[in-house]
Amino acid sequence: MSIPGLGIAPTAATPTAAPTSTATTTIVSLQPFWEWRFEVPVSSSLTIRLLSGTAEKDGTELAPSTPYTFSGAKSKINTWKGCELQVTAPTPDAYDAYTSKPTADETPMVSYLNLHMKLEGLRAAAAKAIGNGEGDMGPRILVAGPANTGKTSLVKMLAGWATRMGHQPMVVNTDAAQGMLSLPGTLSAAVFATIMDITTEWGGIPSSGPVATPIKLPLAYYYGLSSPDENLRLFKSLLSRLAVAATSRLAEDPDVKKTGMLIDTRTPNAAKGGYDLLAHIVAEFSVNIIIVLGSERMTAELVRRFSGQRTSLGECIHVVGLDKSGGVVERDAAFMQGAREATIREYFFGDVRRSLSPFTQSVAFDGVGIWRIMEAPTTATADSDDFYNVSSREQLLEKVEPSLMMVNCMLAVMYASVHDAPETIRDSNIMGFVYVADVDEKKKRLKVLAPVSAKLGDRPLLWGSYPEPMVSL
Amino acid sequence: MSSYQETEDFERDFREALEDLQVNNRYDIQNLTMIARENTEHALAISQVLQDHLKRIAPHKKLPSLYVLDSIVKNVGTPYTLFFGKRLFQTYMDSYASVDMNTRRKMDEMLKTWKEPIPGSIDTRPVFPPDVTRPIENALIKARTSAMHAQQQNLRTEQQLLGRGRSMGQPVPYRETPTPPGSGYRPPSQASGYPAEHAASMANGSPHGHPTQPPSHYPLHQQQIPPTRSTPQPPASLHAFQPLHGGYSMPQSGISVDALTDDIQRLITAFKAEVSRNPHDPSIQTRLKALLDLQSLLQSQNLPQDQLVLVKNRIAELAVTIRAPPAQIATPVPIPQPVAVAPSPAAAPKVSLDSLLGSGALAALLARGSATPQVSTPQPPPATVAIRSPPPQRVEPPKVAAPQADPMSLLNMLRKAGMLPATTPSSGSTPVPNVAPSVATPFPLPVHGMTPPSLENLTGDIAFKASSLKQYVFRPHLLSFMYEALGPQCTQCGRRFKTDEEGKKKKTAHMDWHFKVNQRIAETEKRGQHRSWFIDEMDWINSRETIDEDYVAPTGDSGAQGSAAKAPKLQYIPVPDDPMLANSVCPICQEKFETRWLDDAQEFVWPDALRVGDRIHHASCHKEAMGSSAVGSLYSRNTPEPVLGKRKAEVSRSHLEKCTAYGLRLTEPKQDELTGIRGKLKMEAA
Ligand SMILES: Nc1ncnc2c1ncn2[C@@H]1O[C@H](COP(=O)(O)OP(=O)(O)OP(=O)(O)O)[C@@H](O)[C@H]1O
Ligand SMILES: [Mg+2]
Ligand SMILES: [Zn+2]
Ligand SMILES: [Zn+2]
Repeated sequence: MSIPGLGIAPTAATPTAAPTSTATTTIVSLQPFWEWRFEVPVSSSLTIRLLSGTAEKDGTELAPSTPYTFSGAKSKINTWKGCELQVTAPTPDAYDAYTSKPTADETPMVSYLNLHMKLEGLRAAAAKAIGNGEGDMGPRILVAGPANTGKTSLVKMLAGWATRMGHQPMVVNTDAAQGMLSLPGTLSAAVFATIMDITTEWGGIPSSGPVATPIKLPLAYYYGLSSPDENLRLFKSLLSRLAVAATSRLAEDPDVKKTGMLIDTRTPNAAKGGYDLLAHIVAEFSVNIIIVLGSERMTAELVRRFSGQRTSLGECIHVVGLDKSGGVVERDAAFMQGAREATIREYFFGDVRRSLSPFTQSVAFDGVGIWRIMEAPTTATADSDDFYNVSSREQLLEKVEPSLMMVNCMLAVMYASVHDAPETIRDSNIMGFVYVADVDEKKKRLKVLAPVSAKLGDRPLLWGSYPEPMVSL
Repeated sequence: MSSYQETEDFERDFREALEDLQVNNRYDIQNLTMIARENTEHALAISQVLQDHLKRIAPHKKLPSLYVLDSIVKNVGTPYTLFFGKRLFQTYMDSYASVDMNTRRKMDEMLKTWKEPIPGSIDTRPVFPPDVTRPIENALIKARTSAMHAQQQNLRTEQQLLGRGRSMGQPVPYRETPTPPGSGYRPPSQASGYPAEHAASMANGSPHGHPTQPPSHYPLHQQQIPPTRSTPQPPASLHAFQPLHGGYSMPQSGISVDALTDDIQRLITAFKAEVSRNPHDPSIQTRLKALLDLQSLLQSQNLPQDQLVLVKNRIAELAVTIRAPPAQIATPVPIPQPVAVAPSPAAAPKVSLDSLLGSGALAALLARGSATPQVSTPQPPPATVAIRSPPPQRVEPPKVAAPQADPMSLLNMLRKAGMLPATTPSSGSTPVPNVAPSVATPFPLPVHGMTPPSLENLTGDIAFKASSLKQYVFRPHLLSFMYEALGPQCTQCGRRFKTDEEGKKKKTAHMDWHFKVNQRIAETEKRGQHRSWFIDEMDWINSRETIDEDYVAPTGDSGAQGSAAKAPKLQYIPVPDDPMLANSVCPICQEKFETRWLDDAQEFVWPDALRVGDRIHHASCHKEAMGSSAVGSLYSRNTPEPVLGKRKAEVSRSHLEKCTAYGLRLTEPKQDELTGIRGKLKMEAA
């Protein structure tokens, strides 16, 4: 029987699905405090079921005997009370894994748990105070540290534990290199009131139709570059905007208010004003607890900067250094790029569980308004006097004509109008992204792929350089 | 872009391949299965194409396509089981209605295998979950009942044809061939029809060179040879201890001693194999002996059902936790490469009865109970189970007690040996954690019934200092706040619910949410879905998270809103699975509930029913008795439609205003889209 066209498998699934491959199942037994650490490439997958006991991934518990399928992940399942996992993969070499067998006094997880419990105590106190009509807020925690120290994992863990205990933490991502509930290149915040989808980084991006794990609604701003120092002024400006929105939500939403915030950061680049940037975040989000992972040096530096300082609410700022987990892995550039591409693909087309249909539309050049996000001139640094200089603000965006250069790029769709001033456009949050599939310079039309079948109307589009162009979507 | 196009091409090709499928050619079926396996990213499309195809084709052509479906769900499993599961009732019943008696018989058998785990798989769950197969069975029973009334004279024939559909909870009116007790969940041991080469060739990936089997030989009961499957693929010897007698999910159904003995027999077989692999390990022999004793104990005693349930669960648990030895599929044709099962990257520690029970624990236990006392293997000193020394934590062996001539109850013995939890496991949805008993000791748990001291006080001693937070200060009493204190987990998502009144209420709302969402996922699957725009800053600031409340998003078609608003909301609950509840009457009017098939829900439901605590009432009776406000506030899921309608209207109005302000022209679906996503938020009262 010939089946034309069926041989061409579009995704990377092909190499692993060779006909000779055989599914493999392993039972993993973990004692208390042990961790099963695994790595599975984007081109493969791995399914975990909790057979008995209790287990969690980054603070979120696994449901009993429910299959969780991971792909393109480097992570761990840990247990406090012992558990048994069933691990299934298409082939024995589909993934890489080992068990770490620490005792209670050897695992940093215990210190994270202590931290969480302390935060719970503070939350309980805040709830009581709010009940008495006082203006208290739950703790605002910022997690800092060198690259690959498990900062994001700790934020996730603290968020998972907080929601498990019935709280609603506001999670803020200030690392544009890796998006949270959005594409890379964005800064975002979301309230986590319900269980997280542990098979993805932070859960799915909202879509039409119901989903089995409740969606989280992010508020996202587009930076369009990967590193803060590429355009520090723009970065800080967006952070301030995000902080205003997050703080407003916190102030008005009692459940969030008593829980507080969890803020993920990117490793500060000490040479390029990175610590000033951290100080900016601490001030803007009224951070009162700073956790530094895996660096005594950075702890010392932050203690020096913040000791004796108080937040705008008059609270002491605490700086605590904790050990990083020995399990944190480095993810090389290729892995990270693969992950970004997978995120973008999933944004438009969904995943195995749910396929989405994006819409293609053709627009005339004069039907769109596109602004280019500029990299800062090399002379401009975190010079905060300059930051308030109106004339320099406009340099952050530059209006451009559609061109072939845009092909394969992502454009952010802004909640603003093309008639707005550039700084209004710049400060707006985003509606989402479109992908430029084609630009016909002769006919003066461009073809874009949009998640939603709507005319773009006069929504301004922002063209950044990150996430990088994707040749085959 | 290309992906979108490719999906369409793929769909077309798959459809054409299906149309070519005329007879039950197992190579074609195999081929299509392979395609499904290798293209799971198109799983949704494949499932839809196949189900649409089944709907369209002539009755005499349906069977081969049904076999394709059957083969895909058994050999590939998820996500196909999910996709097919949603419309399985319709697909199955439509086909069933149109095909001849011969085909129906085949379909009955197919359905039967769907209710069971894949033979040989260590995944003990059925191919399709009961909530997928049960409605089909119920419908078949109903069909049979009416057929009986209509044609008394043809009774016997009808019985033969339809009597095979087995009911899961409800009594079957009659039965042509009484099933022997205990064999209820076992696939018939009729394996002759299944071509062994089939599995072998599939495992080899060389589906050629075998003579075509007559269509009727398609694998319906693969007892001897498991088909290849991407999910658990145990070696043949593992069949030996596959718990077939009911699995975990239905411990309430009767358990026969014979069935248990059978399972033990399988374990024994497995152990014998292990003995031959590890002839120098005396503990295996000890355990083998222990199993033999347990077997005779079971046979000589009349244990009550509840104890059998526990024993059975325990055996089932042991069965799945035994390390699968690498082995080959037993086939007439020797396969060169062994099926890779156990050897995974050095990660998996060896799981054995030893690590589960402590060396010789079972033997020691049985030594007390059986007439043949035996020397137990040397025990480690009663483990001082300290957290700091996690390596092999062993269950303390039972204190040496005078051998009892007549062992009291097996249950107690198992408990004393730490093999069973102190209390009966609730509803038995999960196996008892194996490691838990040894771990439980070091954790001082808050005493049940006492209100735990506040977290604020308990964490008062923790300071924001590394020395205070760091690992050497483990505070196990705090951990219980994230486990025991929160109550048991939801089996669908893992969230914990307390067992007090409020917790129960929350759980009800939560399960209701799961139910509705699952139902809506099934509905929306037919329509295209797409990513939403993010919401605007102000909306985000003003939004509040909703937990276990789900807004019913309007459909894409215009006018749907209007009709939804007009249609009175049906207040119903699915017919309870629990047979006790299923026979209950409304406590207020003492009448039974009317069962109806609800197409939307793909389920039999009780209209006008309402669950209050663990009793079910007529919603109307309850409303009258309690006053309508009680119903409204307690059961917000039953909030009458107008409220939702109003919310919808408000949202769209504000949305439209915003759009006009931005000069944004929206196409219809877009508008619904934004409305939908915003509707997911409980908007601030404007
Ligand atoms: N204990 C662990 N065992 C195995 N993998 C882990 C563990 N902790 C974290 N990881 C993995 O290591 C990777 C890096 O962790 P994470 O993203 O939390 O670090 P990070 O400090 O935020 O990194 P970055 O500097 O890139 O922001 C992730 O893939 C994460 O899942
Ligand atoms: Mg990070
Ligand atoms: Zn749940
Ligand atoms: Zn009644």
